[in-house]
Amino acid sequence: MYVYTVATLIGIYCILTLGLNTVTGMAGQISLGHAAFLGIGAYTAAVLMVTYHWGFWPALIAAVVAAAASGAVVGGAAIRVRDDFLPITTMGVNFVVVAVFLYSPFFGGAFGIGGIPSPTWFGAPVGKPGFLVLVVAAVLLTLAVNLWLLRSWAGLALLATREDEDGAHAAGVDVRKFKIAAFTIGTGLAGLAGGLYASCLTFISADDFGFPFSITILCMLVFGGIGTNRGAIAGAIVLGALPELFRPLAEYRMLTYGAILVLLMRWAPHGLLGEESALWRRLARRRAA
Amino acid sequence: MRILEVVGLTKRFAGVTALDAVSFTAEEGQILGLFGPNGAGKTTCFHCLSGFDAPDAGRVIFDGREITGEPPHRLAQAGLARTFQIVRPFKGLTAAENVAVALGRRRYQGLGAVLGTWRGEATRRRALALLERVGLAAHADRPAGHLPLGMLKRLEVARALALEPKLILLDEPLGGLSHEETRSLADLIRSLRAEGLSLVLVEHQMRVAMSLVDRVAVLDHGALIASGPPERVRRDPRVIEAYLGEDGGAAGH
Amino acid sequence: MLLQQLVNGITVGSLYALMALGLTMVYGVLRILHIAHAAVFTLGAYGGLWAWHVTGSFWIALGCAMASAVAAGLAMERWVYWPLLGKPPIATLIASIGLFVGLEELYRIAAGPQPYAFALTPRLPELRWGPVLITPPQALVISVTAALLAALWLLLVRTRLGLALRAASQDRDMATTCGMNVRRVVAFDFALGSALAGAAGMLVGIYYNSVSPTMGDVAGYKGLAIIVLGGLGSIPGTVLGGLIVGVVETLVIGLVELPLPRDAWAFVAMIAVFLIRPQGLLGGR
Repeated sequence: MYVYTVATLIGIYCILTLGLNTVTGMAGQISLGHAAFLGIGAYTAAVLMVTYHWGFWPALIAAVVAAAASGAVVGGAAIRVRDDFLPITTMGVNFVVVAVFLYSPFFGGAFGIGGIPSPTWFGAPVGKPGFLVLVVAAVLLTLAVNLWLLRSWAGLALLATREDEDGAHAAGVDVRKFKIAAFTIGTGLAGLAGGLYASCLTFISADDFGFPFSITILCMLVFGGIGTNRGAIAGAIVLGALPELFRPLAEYRMLTYGAILVLLMRWAPHGLLGEESALWRRLARRRAA
Repeated sequence: MRILEVVGLTKRFAGVTALDAVSFTAEEGQILGLFGPNGAGKTTCFHCLSGFDAPDAGRVIFDGREITGEPPHRLAQAGLARTFQIVRPFKGLTAAENVAVALGRRRYQGLGAVLGTWRGEATRRRALALLERVGLAAHADRPAGHLPLGMLKRLEVARALALEPKLILLDEPLGGLSHEETRSLADLIRSLRAEGLSLVLVEHQMRVAMSLVDRVAVLDHGALIASGPPERVRRDPRVIEAYLGEDGGAAGH
Repeated sequence: MLLQQLVNGITVGSLYALMALGLTMVYGVLRILHIAHAAVFTLGAYGGLWAWHVTGSFWIALGCAMASAVAAGLAMERWVYWPLLGKPPIATLIASIGLFVGLEELYRIAAGPQPYAFALTPRLPELRWGPVLITPPQALVISVTAALLAALWLLLVRTRLGLALRAASQDRDMATTCGMNVRRVVAFDFALGSALAGAAGMLVGIYYNSVSPTMGDVAGYKGLAIIVLGGLGSIPGTVLGGLIVGVVETLVIGLVELPLPRDAWAFVAMIAVFLIRPQGLLGGR
């Protein structure tokens, strides 16, 4: 049954990296606080289910809405700050959000929230395999959202914003509106992951959603190839599974992440499967042949 | 018919008056040259015309409608396009995709943004046609980041044309180009006028620019010092003085 | 009571300022967020602690703290930051995060996760001024910090190297055109900022009597908030920002009961300044 838990977690990581890809990969807005929105989703779902006895599905929807709304607010703040300031601002948001969860008795304070129920399907509790199916469905949904975004004019607007804001502005793109949209969609997806996370682990505490986890998600995305959906998924799977497959590695996980990040940026900034990465170009050539 | 009217445009920065009640007009179907030595205020004026800055006083009227202080994307949607002095291509996108961004200007408002796709045949055909117009069709699928400067300047023009503009503001388009590239870009600009487009050209390279424009407005130290047909303006003593003061050479170096 | 808290706040604030200066100096010249600076800070603490155990001398330990920090800073600059200069800013940011995260783990593996005591009692008198007491550690921190800041000021304002540094942070390309060896100026800039961080690390270790692998975390995050608060790239702004955060934190914790942890206040202050004055307190443009 352990495999199910790991696979489910990897699925949740996928949703997180895909959501971050929307904000940072597609729209070019560097967010170092993505885990905060995971937390907002998780706590929303947890509180609604445990304190107010909501069902799983309505709580999940509420989690998405809460995270997306918070993301819209952060996006609104993000457009007022200069490019250089944005990463620090998102970091600050992460800290403040975690602090609120940690210190507010409504959110369980330092003890977190436990006893979060699992979802039910027609009255029967969804077992571990069932939950995995649910998470996989959520991953597919997230992927669908991103793919649809990529082919829509809104997606093109985001890409243009990433490449050159002034150029995009002069070409008719309301840059501010689209930045907020990117944040809203990406954080909404993180909220989806949050609702699932809460039920999967049945216990959450504020420390789960701090800056280190935001870095982990970013690391996965960058490793896989930032800006691409295949990269987001590949990164989540590889870096999510690695500590489980090589137990000793788990001990030195942060060291490994750190080394990977530095080496990657120096010699392979496009990650494993990024648009201009060696591996992807070889695969693309093989497909064209 | 006046396509652009600038009335009393004023802009101040921390005690310095960059623009002092500048007024001029651009006629439809003509090329207006906005000239002046370094520091004259051409760039500031350009920013105010293109929505990247708002004036402290004065009005800008485009195609009969007041547009003072409106943001760039709104101007783009209204048919006022601009190119950048330091080119701003979307480096990670191909040339065709660069043009496609501007083709979507109506789609970016409201639901059009989420319905439909930009990857369809129709968009591609229109993008290719525009690239053809500026002579870049052969490079449609190359990433813009790989294109040399001369081509990037043309790409800027293609992107501007994609907005179906009535007026294009050109920000020092001839800078940094070789003789050959300058000549062919000037030809392109002339052909745009021949199609009925109106253009405002901010330039520092006077000799080539003078041969392009129908009318000239000259700024110096934030004020308009001369305006009229090029042959008359270039002989205006105030204009000569302004440029003399700059680099010791006559206007038209 | 209030005055005492003020003194406490200024002490803490000067430590923040010392630490954050390196961040603002690196930003000023390279326009990058040197998140790994916190790891340099921690290394200084360990370096100083080790040297003190070995020699028993405060000054030698301080020198060692600064030297080890300088070495680390220069290594980062040479092998990570400089090669990444042309690339998009996100690449440098991620590399910096990688360095920070990896180095902290390295400290944990090398020195162990438990905090070490840094029981250095400064041979300074207790200063009493009315109801206000300045303890020896406080006096130490304030005097050493003031001395370092004075030295920095002299260097920046009175020497050619300092002039070069200021020129390079205004416009790096222009500085190159003027024939300046920008490469060396950048390296010097890193060395200077790192030295200050190393000193800050050791002083923090002494003040709180604790040196641990993760001691850089809080200081690091706060440092980022402080430089934004003070105005990215502005040295006086950073000093001011550090002092403000130190004082505000101490006053709020000491006098008011608000539901936010001490460490979140730096970010709250940062966000508050953003809304009113987006370029920071003393930032230009």
